[in-house]
Amino acid sequence: MSDVYRTRELYRFNATDQFYKRQMYLSSGSMLLVTLSVRDLRVHYKSKDAVVRAVDGVSFDLGNGKSVGIVGESGCGKSTLGLALIRAIQGGSVESGEAFLDGKPLLGISDDEFSKTMRWKKISMVFQGAMNSLDPVFSVKAQFYEVLKEHKYAGDAQKAIKDALAAVSLPLSVLDNFPHELSGGMKQRVVIAMALLLGPELVIADEPTTALDVLVQAQIMSLLKELKKGGMSVMLISHDLGIVSEISDMVAIMYAGKIVEFGTLRDVYSNPRHPYTQALLKATPRIRGEKELASLKGTPPSLSSVGPGCRFYDRCPKAMEKCRNDPPVVRTESGYVACWLEE
Amino acid sequence: MADRKSQVEEILAVSDLRKYFEKKAFLRRLEVIRAVDGVSFSIGTGQTLVLAGESGSGKTTIARLILGALEPDWGKITFSGEMTGLDRESIARIRRECQMIHQDPYASLDPRMRVIDIVREPLDIHGIGRPAERREMALGALRDVKLDADDVALKYPHMLSGGQRQRVAIARAIAPKPKVIIADEPVSMLDVSVRVGILELMKELQERDGISFLYITHDLSTARYVGDEIVILYMGKIVEYGKIDDVLLHPAHPYTRALVEAISEPDPDNLTTEKKIHVNPTLDINPYQGCRFRARCPYAVERCSDEPPLEDIGGGRFVACFVKPD
Repeated sequence: MSDVYRTRELYRFNATDQFYKRQMYLSSGSMLLVTLSVRDLRVHYKSKDAVVRAVDGVSFDLGNGKSVGIVGESGCGKSTLGLALIRAIQGGSVESGEAFLDGKPLLGISDDEFSKTMRWKKISMVFQGAMNSLDPVFSVKAQFYEVLKEHKYAGDAQKAIKDALAAVSLPLSVLDNFPHELSGGMKQRVVIAMALLLGPELVIADEPTTALDVLVQAQIMSLLKELKKGGMSVMLISHDLGIVSEISDMVAIMYAGKIVEFGTLRDVYSNPRHPYTQALLKATPRIRGEKELASLKGTPPSLSSVGPGCRFYDRCPKAMEKCRNDPPVVRTESGYVACWLEE
Repeated sequence: MADRKSQVEEILAVSDLRKYFEKKAFLRRLEVIRAVDGVSFSIGTGQTLVLAGESGSGKTTIARLILGALEPDWGKITFSGEMTGLDRESIARIRRECQMIHQDPYASLDPRMRVIDIVREPLDIHGIGRPAERREMALGALRDVKLDADDVALKYPHMLSGGQRQRVAIARAIAPKPKVIIADEPVSMLDVSVRVGILELMKELQERDGISFLYITHDLSTARYVGDEIVILYMGKIVEYGKIDDVLLHPAHPYTRALVEAISEPDPDNLTTEKKIHVNPTLDINPYQGCRFRARCPYAVERCSDEPPLEDIGGGRFVACFVKPD
């Protein structure tokens, strides 16, 4: 293994380093094949006596028209990563790092500019618990118009709404309904349609099927699959390895604020290299095949008090002495893995 | 159905259980919701029966009927051979012998009580053991669920992780030495890496103490890991009932089949294959007449507007379907 990099060396990046930022901009601008590029992103939540490093140096590239699945357990920072990309972090702040969509920066520009040029137009989001994100006192139609107004949509509003509803196979009649008149699956479709209103290139979907029944869940996933076929990129945030495999070309496994393994779906699922990925796959029950499951001891570390070294150290069945130091980021065929075993 | 269980002693049985709710609809018209509509099943000692279904299938209502939190409209519940009623004595007995683990360990534990008091409370309520012994019994239950009893006993629930909290909930359930534990989605709120530990713990306690489990879930993959038998519910009725591997690997009812088809397993081939689920979009027909599933069933024939009986198809397997497509 000659391709051993330290994360810092590979993606050394500082938001104030203008020269580097321009370099980055130019280089990713010339690589037309990259849709989304995230560079050493750090997001911290600060409370009176602690700093929670929810996202702590996350970097990955996503090829043109590809979709990515972000997998991790609760509190690993996967939702924060999504919120950071659409600049909707509440109570926290992006400390450093940059993200580029089609070569255009998402984080280095002003809020105003981001709203004007990017949010909902290029990148939109289906929020977690989307079924509760509709306002109960307004009709669906009013809520669609609110989105269009908020983003100063200049085109044909009726056509935009009609197209978005058609994309999620909902009848036009839902426009006159109030959220409580719709079933969970229909509400989820409405929320997805809202994310599609301005024709974004990338939709971030945070646990879009979690509260839904099994059959409805499958329908929503095939809907997302269909939209992806139509050329949209999806960033699917989920704890469910099964759901993620339906739609993600690339998979990022997150643990305690860091991506521990990144690669194509097949590489990560069929040949997992990080012990955490291996453990997750072994802990997932399957309807066919073996009934044996392997459990993992302990719980993830608190993100407010992480020291140096591999964050999986306490729970890793293969932990060694040198794992007390930060693990190297080793390139794999389709991505990277952060583990001393791969050195 | 009783002969089937001849090899294992039957601990809990319900027969023809019914519970209807009334809902005031538009213009004071009363709408009747048949939450549980003629359900019969039994659990053998030391066995796990899975009650599976989507939301609104009546699975939680059944648990509440068994524990006497709701009064059944019809049917009987038999607990170790004795019929239970709604008199104080029989409710006290079933609530002692039959404990419950709830879905959300963040909501089911009183935030103002210390862990030791949470686990001890059922012992005090049911008057189990001498008051002086109860503390030791509660500590023993905490050790049984693999918690460091001395460490967690004086803590409050908010100081524990989700997995630890669910272990406390299990300790509370096993402290009065029940014969049956009703577990309502006990791992659905927990992280994948923590789930297996809880499931293994439940299995271990079952083997050691011969506890029977009624495991309520919508997650068929996890169900297969814990269960011996499974009941598939659809709108308050049993559509299929049998040994868990038989039902899940070779589903006979179209609804069971659709549920199994809808499961996404972590398989890289999913990305390129189209999932085929045999189910129609819902049409508006009276759901309480004939087969409940027929509006969504692609195999429905005219006869399905009659009520299909739960028919014995051999091997301890029961299916309520006229068509039974292969």
